[in-house]
Amino acid sequence: MTRFLENFIKALRDSGISISTAESIDAFNTLKIIGYQDRDNLKFALGSVLAKSFKDKEIFSRCFELYFSLLTLETASDSILKDLEKFQDELSALTRILIREDKMDIIRAVNEAGLAANITDMEFITQQGIFTRKIMEYLGFEELKRDIGWISEKKNLGGQQMGTALEKAKDQLYQYVNDYVKQHFLLYTALKTLQTAENHLKAARFSDIDINDMRKMQFLITKIAKRLNSRHSRRLKNQKKGGLDLRKTLRKNSPYQGCLFIPQYKDKKVDRPDFFVICDISRSVRNTAHFMLLFLYSLNKSLAKIRSFILCSNLVEVSHLFAKYPGEEALERIHRGEDLDIMLGPTDYGQAFMDFKEKYISAVNKKTTILILGDARNNEGDPQVEILREISEKCKKLIWLNPETRGIWTMGDSEMTRYLPYCHLAEECSTLNHLERVLDKLLQSSV
Amino acid sequence: MTVNNFVTVEEIRQRYREKGYICSKEIAAILYMAYHLEKPILVEGPVGVGKTELAKTTSVILDIPLIRLQCYEGLDESKALYEWKYGKQLLYTQLLKDQINKIIGEEDTLEDAIGKLHQYEDIFFSPRFLEPRPLLKALQAEGGSVLLVDEVDKADQEFEAYLLEILSDFQVSIPEIGTIKAQKKPLVFLTSNNTREISDALRRRCLHLFIPYPHPDLEREIVQINVPKIGEELKNQLVSFVSHVRNLDIKKAPSISETIDWARALLLLNTEVLDHDSIKDTLNILLKFEGDIKAVQQRIGDLTALVKTRAGG
Repeated sequence: MTRFLENFIKALRDSGISISTAESIDAFNTLKIIGYQDRDNLKFALGSVLAKSFKDKEIFSRCFELYFSLLTLETASDSILKDLEKFQDELSALTRILIREDKMDIIRAVNEAGLAANITDMEFITQQGIFTRKIMEYLGFEELKRDIGWISEKKNLGGQQMGTALEKAKDQLYQYVNDYVKQHFLLYTALKTLQTAENHLKAARFSDIDINDMRKMQFLITKIAKRLNSRHSRRLKNQKKGGLDLRKTLRKNSPYQGCLFIPQYKDKKVDRPDFFVICDISRSVRNTAHFMLLFLYSLNKSLAKIRSFILCSNLVEVSHLFAKYPGEEALERIHRGEDLDIMLGPTDYGQAFMDFKEKYISAVNKKTTILILGDARNNEGDPQVEILREISEKCKKLIWLNPETRGIWTMGDSEMTRYLPYCHLAEECSTLNHLERVLDKLLQSSV
Repeated sequence: MTVNNFVTVEEIRQRYREKGYICSKEIAAILYMAYHLEKPILVEGPVGVGKTELAKTTSVILDIPLIRLQCYEGLDESKALYEWKYGKQLLYTQLLKDQINKIIGEEDTLEDAIGKLHQYEDIFFSPRFLEPRPLLKALQAEGGSVLLVDEVDKADQEFEAYLLEILSDFQVSIPEIGTIKAQKKPLVFLTSNNTREISDALRRRCLHLFIPYPHPDLEREIVQINVPKIGEELKNQLVSFVSHVRNLDIKKAPSISETIDWARALLLLNTEVLDHDSIKDTLNILLKFEGDIKAVQQRIGDLTALVKTRAGG
């Protein structure tokens, strides 16, 4: 039975729930205490030990239903089969197991055959037939059929009935193996590919990601944002404690007649880093901008102050949209362009910089980090490099994230080479991994 | 343990029902596990579903004291575990100045005087001058206790790390006195409203229980037991109404306590069936935001229709 629970825990781990060794030990103790009688109780008890968050509980529920229904093996429970025992020595191993009608034996045999048939190599549900046959082969299907054959011949000893009973048992076994292969696929293979799919998405170029993967991307982004959040908010908290504040200490300890029992410390004011994010939303960069903004706004508000702008033919601020609506909805509104003065014509970085200088440059100071996300393709317009220089001098850091590969930066109407001298950092940023790396670096260095 | 408690899951549900708390099967199963495995329970869920009530009822049933620790940002060791009664120590030293002088007076050198005083040092750091706070009280309680750490998500991460230490060994070491071990492990409930992610380490130590908004059947039982005089039809209708309201897009969904209050109010107003007017007048008991009240007021018509057709009994 312990092997059974071990496999269940393995299946849970493969589907994305992380279970520590201590928790698996708890699960075994749980089994001992609660027993198998009541399926619901078992599910709740194991759930409380193995699935420790709301999301995990959903995965757990799914796996539990799949895994714990494997045990429905119908056996004929025919007393006729018992009569076959007198032929014990002449029967094949499989027939002997079937006669004994011990469910656990049968299940164990099937599991072993499964391992021998390398069922973990199964990749597609269409391979179900092949693997079923392989397992039956390992079990000894041929011998079983042979046995049924010669037993049915023994008409005088009631071989007819015995043969029929054995035939029935054989069919049930076949059905069980079929189900077993299917369940195995659903449990292990299908859920394991989720992990590889995630890694693929993280490394995929934003422009290649289509609508169907949007939800998965969102999920990934929240996951990564959560990681960044916890990593950096801890650090921020620690840096807040300053040196001893003598005045405060004396005041706090006056009831103790001046004995300094309770020291008070200075509160260092750690300003959140100021991010100004300017995103190009022209068609070529739209996807990347989408994910970039989504990502930024999933970060904890205490980590960074973010003001966001979009540019196309001009520049417009969109921070108020993100303040009012959740990430996805705000982005949708931006794409539709409603209530915004954004002009969706050919991209004009020059105009955008002029707009920025006119309206927002006063808000930029030495603590601001400016992130520009765009491909710098200006359609042969005036790039207004001077304005970028001004902005760059006023702020703390100017970072340009370009979704194109570095090689193309010099080609066509891209003004990257002219903007490059004024950027403190220019990086290619076309996948989620890139984004994560850049943001991590930024958050670390900005405090 | 002279009395056998929590022998079966059904028994647990029965006993809690007697004390006025309706447990779902899941809650009962997990209570059973926590009691026998001696592990803390992390109870999560929306506001007002009965997380704190659960702990309170448990202490009543098991007949052990309930020790409550309310968490907040900035909660630290001195407020949670123990504190020395500085004031008392100072006071005593002042009052006993003469006595102390007598003891030291006989010694000539400073070194001898300090040596003499050292013998008595432990008096001022004895348990008499120790102010136990909830965590220490829970450890010291004879016969066990129910420790309720309320809203642990409001405390910061340092405090969580500190809690971890206590929850794993159930002992604490006070430098001056020594190690204090729990005579009987307390039954620990941690509640959280999910304003912040609880660290994984703490999650692993505990059994996890999520209490959602109740299923209408369960909620009917809850209303029945809290408002016994309510009519059958009214009860069905109002429970159905509340569950529909929870599905609407409002700022704060009504919790169980609000359902009970609303039931009591309707009973007081002698309402027999739910209709447009009775709902409109009492909606502010169920919903606590003006925006929500307005939003639902517009939908009262179709909601009442839904409720009347569904809640046949």
